[in-house]
Amino acid sequence: MTGRGSSLVRAGFALALALGVTLALVAAAGAPPVATLLVMLTGSLGSPTACLRTLSAFAPLLLCGAALCVTFGANLWNIGVEGQITLGAIFCLWLLRGAGDLLPPDLAVGLSLGAAMVGGMLWALLAGVLRTHGRVHEIFSGLGLNFVATGISLWLILGPWKRPGMASMSGTEPLPPVLHLPLWGGRPMSLWGLLLALAGFVFVAWLLRRTFFGLALSAVRQNMTAAGRLGLRPRRRMLAAMGLCGALAGLAGGILVAGLYHRLIPSISGNYGYTAILAVLLASGSLRALPAACLFFAVLTVGSIQLPLELSLDSSLAGVIQGVLVLTLFAARRLWPADTRGGA
Amino acid sequence: MDVVLSHIVKRFGAIAANDDVTVHFAAGRIHGLLGENGAGKSTLMRVLCGVVSPDAGTLTVDGRDYDGLCPEQAARLGIGMLPQDPLDFPPLRVWENFALGGGQVLARREARGRLAAVCARMGFTLPPDVPVSRLTVAERQQLELARLFDRDVRLLILDEPTTGISPAQKEALFAVLRQFVAGGERVVALVTHKLAEARELCDQVSVLRQGRLAGAFVAPLDPPAILSTMFGAETASLAATPPPPPPPLDAEAVPLVTLSNVAFADTKTVLKHLTLTVRPGEIVGLAGISGGGQETLLRGLAGIAPTVAGSLTVAGQALAGRSLPHFLRAGVHYLPASRMEEGLFPGLSLLDHLRLAFPEARHEARAIFANRCVAGFHLTNVPDAGAASLSGGNQQRLLLSLVPDDTRLLLADNPTRGLDAASIAQIWEHFRARAAGGAAVLFFSEDLDELLAQAGRVLVFYNRRLVADLPAGRFDAARVGELMTGRADGQEERA
Repeated sequence: MTGRGSSLVRAGFALALALGVTLALVAAAGAPPVATLLVMLTGSLGSPTACLRTLSAFAPLLLCGAALCVTFGANLWNIGVEGQITLGAIFCLWLLRGAGDLLPPDLAVGLSLGAAMVGGMLWALLAGVLRTHGRVHEIFSGLGLNFVATGISLWLILGPWKRPGMASMSGTEPLPPVLHLPLWGGRPMSLWGLLLALAGFVFVAWLLRRTFFGLALSAVRQNMTAAGRLGLRPRRRMLAAMGLCGALAGLAGGILVAGLYHRLIPSISGNYGYTAILAVLLASGSLRALPAACLFFAVLTVGSIQLPLELSLDSSLAGVIQGVLVLTLFAARRLWPADTRGGA
Repeated sequence: MDVVLSHIVKRFGAIAANDDVTVHFAAGRIHGLLGENGAGKSTLMRVLCGVVSPDAGTLTVDGRDYDGLCPEQAARLGIGMLPQDPLDFPPLRVWENFALGGGQVLARREARGRLAAVCARMGFTLPPDVPVSRLTVAERQQLELARLFDRDVRLLILDEPTTGISPAQKEALFAVLRQFVAGGERVVALVTHKLAEARELCDQVSVLRQGRLAGAFVAPLDPPAILSTMFGAETASLAATPPPPPPPLDAEAVPLVTLSNVAFADTKTVLKHLTLTVRPGEIVGLAGISGGGQETLLRGLAGIAPTVAGSLTVAGQALAGRSLPHFLRAGVHYLPASRMEEGLFPGLSLLDHLRLAFPEARHEARAIFANRCVAGFHLTNVPDAGAASLSGGNQQRLLLSLVPDDTRLLLADNPTRGLDAASIAQIWEHFRARAAGGAAVLFFSEDLDELLAQAGRVLVFYNRRLVADLPAGRFDAARVGELMTGRADGQEERA
């Protein structure tokens, strides 16, 4: 069986099992299982608006998923993607607030996305340096920095960047429309966000598959000692991977600010960082399967929002469904493990 | 005790490690199992002591037939094995290890008493309260033997027991084994790839080759006949031919490597006060008990263990305190003993290894593979195969292919460990060619015979100190053995 075929079959098996367990749980909770499934599907794919909403979740997920493929490529668990998204959003808004009036709007928006990438990169490099030079594992520093990033964004929303006259958890003052990323037919979804996400994904695929940098990263992942002995400077490569991952996650944050919310809101990262980790794991690190895995999680996220509205189910059930689905998926993958050979 | 292995077959995947092997271990005899690495000796012994169950064949112990044994059964029958690497708990004390020696765990008083009794009977000196991590390899062997003797083992299997011990310690071990079988009741099975050892000790030998029984001989053993049974006629002549004498060195040549009062700090050992020069064309053997400091010298010269004091110059470049890439640029290359763990990328293809080692020529990786790996080192795998699938010999061939041609200083830690005779001969030929081309080769081998045969100069280490620097013609096994176990002081022999 080819690697591609077997990974598709494995994913299919995992999905079927996860769906079965989840529907059983939904039934046990007293909800109609088939109706629940249909509501989730129509809520995410049933109308053009629903599709656009799903795509607006898909874009940051794909960007963060591609970003994580870079760090997983170097055997780094960059759990700090959430914080990197948040810092990207903050840097983006900072530039738009500061320079939005001085520069031509298109240039300002473009620069703000660049600033978002710088913000995410710096936040990721902080975790990276702690790992390579401070022997702090990136899981701990990433998690810690996520909390710090949330703290910074709350402080900005309630403090220096609060709306005139009142501080509100609903976020900062909205940006003027000229500073928005161009919208797609007036709907709350920027085509640019999706294009940038696809471009980021293609870039990562090219980098990991076709360049010496990608080969050196997989050498670091396979055997850091041997990579050092060959003079491949593994610590530098790991920092480069962290920086690049952070830049892409920061770009996702910038797209969320300039293309979707048009302001900074609390928890702007919206769990996209954590969800992207799950998507990469679901795709077994395979770049080919990553878009499908991201789409799956986008559908799940957007579709479950409709459950309380349409079926009067307790809103916590949506979270339970997501959690059970994901857990069963991974349990199923254990039951049918991937081959242990590396290589994305 | 009388044990017969009849028509034993053991397969691992497509490979038959044992293919229809029949051996009779008769009471009162020391029975040698000879064969080169990978011939199937260890597998056969693991079948005998119940660790591996055979796919076909019968074991007959004192007239009773078994299809296979489990370890507890083998222990009850009195079959015990001294493995190649000691199976002990280094942080625990000697008596604690003895008390945990298989079967029922002994209480403190009983364990100490029985340990003292066994030691008195066999002439061992094992301090009961010292942690095992502080023992030498020979003492750890004695501890294992003491446990086996205490359990009243009657068929004792030893797997390459002379690796890492000195010639004097080897003599002591052989005396113990002769005493063990002297009563005419017990049996020793000695696994070895060294004919000299078998000749010295064994009453009879069975020779394995590629998993099959290739021949059986009774003492006095005839070396040429056994060698060609072990290797086949062609390789036997290779293995029997002593290496050519080292070419005379140009005394006027500028030293390639200069160490002046250097200290290397490795993870566990610090090696201090090293003053030394190595000239181009030298093949220097580093002798020492494992952990004696010779590995630290290799890792220090390679830039892996940092130079923390003194000055180190290689090919005119001052390298003390510099990072590993500086060493690589100066033409220093290190071949690790654990090839897969420190040298290779298990999930990457052979071509990817070449691309990583020669980045500037990465688009011609296939041509490099044909030139270096296939033509140069007879690497037989397909270039797109993963490194994880390589045999030990092919791992070393791949690693050698990754050494740049302009390497000035080649450092090798146990370069031939676990390899077959043809590969070993090929590796030494390659090292001699490198030296003839103006490089210097420093190597450590746990096999002292090999080390003395191949080296043109020997540095002896004891207790993390360089104790002797012996030029060609000034070293022999007995002398080096005494120096590396600290029984002789080598101060006057520093060059």
